[in-house]
Amino acid sequence: MTSHTDTPTTTLRPADLAEAAAALADTTGRVLIRGAGTAADWAGQPEPPDLVLATAALSGVRAHNPADMTVEVWAGTPLRELNRVLAEHGQRVALDPARVALGATVGGLVATADSGPGALVFGSARDLVIGATVVLADGTVARTGGHVIKNVAGYDLAKLVHGCYGTLALLAQVVLRLHPLPEASVTVRLTGPLTDAAEAAGRVLASPLEPVALEWSDGGLLLRLDGGAAAVDARTRRLANLLGLGAVRLSAAEADDAWDEHAALVGDRPATGTAVLRVGARPSRLPGLLGELTAELGASRVTAGLATGVGTVTLPVDAVARAHQLIHRVGGTSVLRARPAGATAPGWGPAPSAIAVLRAVRDELDPSGRLGAGRFAPWL
Amino acid sequence: MSIGAAAARDFERVLGPENVISDPPRLRSYECDGLTGYRVVPALVLLPRTAEQVAASVRVCAARGIPFVARGAGTGLSGGALPVADGVVISLQRLRRVLEVDPVDRRAVLEPGVTNLDITRAAAPYGLYYAPDPSSQQVCTIGGNVAENSGGAHCLKYGFTTNHVLALEVVLADGSVVTLGGDTGEQLGPDLRGVFVGSEGTVGIATKITVRLLRTPETVRTLLADFGSIEAAGEVVSDIVAAGIVPAAVEMMDTLAIEAAEEAVHAGYTRGVPAALVVELDGPAEECDEQFERVRAICDKHGCTRLHVAGDTEERAAIWRGRKSAFAAVGRISPDYFVQDGVVPRTRLAEVLGRIAAMGSDAGLRVANVFHAGDGNLHPLVLYDAAAGETERAETLSGQIAELCVELGGSLSGEHGIGTDKACSMPKMFSEVDLAVMGRVRSAFDPAGLCNPGKLLPTPRLCGERPGPFRVHPLEEAGVIERL
Repeated sequence: MTSHTDTPTTTLRPADLAEAAAALADTTGRVLIRGAGTAADWAGQPEPPDLVLATAALSGVRAHNPADMTVEVWAGTPLRELNRVLAEHGQRVALDPARVALGATVGGLVATADSGPGALVFGSARDLVIGATVVLADGTVARTGGHVIKNVAGYDLAKLVHGCYGTLALLAQVVLRLHPLPEASVTVRLTGPLTDAAEAAGRVLASPLEPVALEWSDGGLLLRLDGGAAAVDARTRRLANLLGLGAVRLSAAEADDAWDEHAALVGDRPATGTAVLRVGARPSRLPGLLGELTAELGASRVTAGLATGVGTVTLPVDAVARAHQLIHRVGGTSVLRARPAGATAPGWGPAPSAIAVLRAVRDELDPSGRLGAGRFAPWL
Repeated sequence: MSIGAAAARDFERVLGPENVISDPPRLRSYECDGLTGYRVVPALVLLPRTAEQVAASVRVCAARGIPFVARGAGTGLSGGALPVADGVVISLQRLRRVLEVDPVDRRAVLEPGVTNLDITRAAAPYGLYYAPDPSSQQVCTIGGNVAENSGGAHCLKYGFTTNHVLALEVVLADGSVVTLGGDTGEQLGPDLRGVFVGSEGTVGIATKITVRLLRTPETVRTLLADFGSIEAAGEVVSDIVAAGIVPAAVEMMDTLAIEAAEEAVHAGYTRGVPAALVVELDGPAEECDEQFERVRAICDKHGCTRLHVAGDTEERAAIWRGRKSAFAAVGRISPDYFVQDGVVPRTRLAEVLGRIAAMGSDAGLRVANVFHAGDGNLHPLVLYDAAAGETERAETLSGQIAELCVELGGSLSGEHGIGTDKACSMPKMFSEVDLAVMGRVRSAFDPAGLCNPGKLLPTPRLCGERPGPFRVHPLEEAGVIERL
């Protein structure tokens, strides 16, 4: 393990489980866990840490069992690299958040409860993690789940680190279930405003065509079908018929560009004076809500998962607090992504009803609140 | 055992006297769940009609330090709803309204006592269904499914209860009511909804459950294939997976299980074959047809001795009737049986079945196997005759099989839960530290330990004083106590 004390904050880079445990057992003070740093300014502003615990050296595949379709990795492994290795076996971790392309780690994606368009079918990381090894604030190492996809033995501690933003525990090792890479994948684009896209999305979802992604952004609805080559061709024709005039089957290169543009809207650094907010709402309410955010608060760069109910918007920094309120009013969820330097935009809206449980869990697992302090401000 | 007249009066005030059961004959009908080997008569059984009454009942428990056990239909197979002698059972059977079916956002809001199949019945008019389908789906409740994180035959493709629950209204152990999860898969902070699902009733009682509904697949293709060996059938499953096909279900039955099922429901399985495989594919017609042909070819390649394709929904239903009746059907060929629920990595199926057969023959007992081959979830049925004094031997064998699954890199339980049944085996799968951390999580939800105590985590009372791998309790060994 190497340490750097050239700045007031110490950085530790544990390279195995024992070092990770020691990094927490042998130290005191506030700890900021850092993966690739792609979500460093998401959610609440972390309080200045005494120790940065970098997971960069906790990286690599520990065990890949292609025939069982599982893989165990160190949490600091970039998902992009993992999927490159798995692709050689025709497999993948079916998780596609925008920042995977920026080098986001498996642990970071889990800790931020991130997901991309494919959440429509594959869910988020919580649905793919089947086992984990975590290190608590006092260095306690605990395992949960296992190496089999179907397993109900014990409490699922992996769920606690999903969305914990570096509080509660360090995620050290993760076991993931894998999916086969599809033989073919086709994207269809339907140009039109959000309200028309929502209507079209409704028709597609009522059909038996089973899209794996359905996202509106930048004046168009992107729909992706995965499957066997001939079957996807046939389904694409049915989809085009269903959507009618204006539906265009994109070439592979066009499809890559279209999804890259979508990812850029979600994941790019916002311009000065603006912040990105991730929004969740009942799918039928999402278009109206996004419209309201656009009309009233000047939201731009809108993306809308019309079946998942998850979208992103870019807002003026001083509109973020109001946006949290508006989203909360329709029963939605919101979290700040990408806080511009120096801005004080709130990471979260009103606290969830289970905040007392969350505090109790934090008090049990990290009584001094040293991990990720500030991430859930002002709730925790 | 009694919890005192004052407590009983409190419950009667909250629920009305007619909704508090205290007479011994009626109490006895709650003494066990589907794991009938364990029986405890509770002090009282409470029958709330509303979520508010559930919360009020729990507040009485909290104020008086009375342990409580939530119960749905009582179909659980791990003793998760086993009562506590000096506690109350809170039955959720009267909270059985489907509160909402939303065909646009494809979700249903349910009270906990709604049966699994009734969710699909309510959704069917809109072309929707609820995916998790435990074999007991005609009677088991969604509240129990949430507690156990129930799976079913189709979870290979569609996942478990946890993947289909969006939100839970939960009564915590102090009687407070919170919502876990929300309108989408998105969450504010750590995934407490995910912690709750599968917590076996030990961290609260769900009183309102929002689940996702899926569109009914356009096409379903089901085949029943016979093989000359378990190994050959196992290779078929491997090849299907290697081909990148994710079937909706892949189920296997061995000779004994087939015999039992045929005896009971005459579903058209071939008696005497070493292994039968049920493979079901679903989805858009083109995908389904293309994959189905590949699956047929894989079956042929591995020497399939008979391949029956369900020609219509009636034939498909018959195949599933045979599979889903297998547990109960075993009663036709054996007076008593234990069901196990261990999981192994799928690639070790043949190995584990070979070892189970050897262990069974060493113990002088027959073991029937019916299992979810696609995900390595075994359901060995240890057959025995209690009247012939075989109970203890069968129970030992059954426990050894579950622990063997852990040794082979799997799990004690794929879907039935740990409950009372396997709590003492937990140290085989998790370290003392792992279990202590789980205990801390439980304490966060329920510091007083009133919520379904004695389940899921091993306790000295249940498993002996010393921590570490499960041993027979010293008093048990000495014949002073017995495990009923």
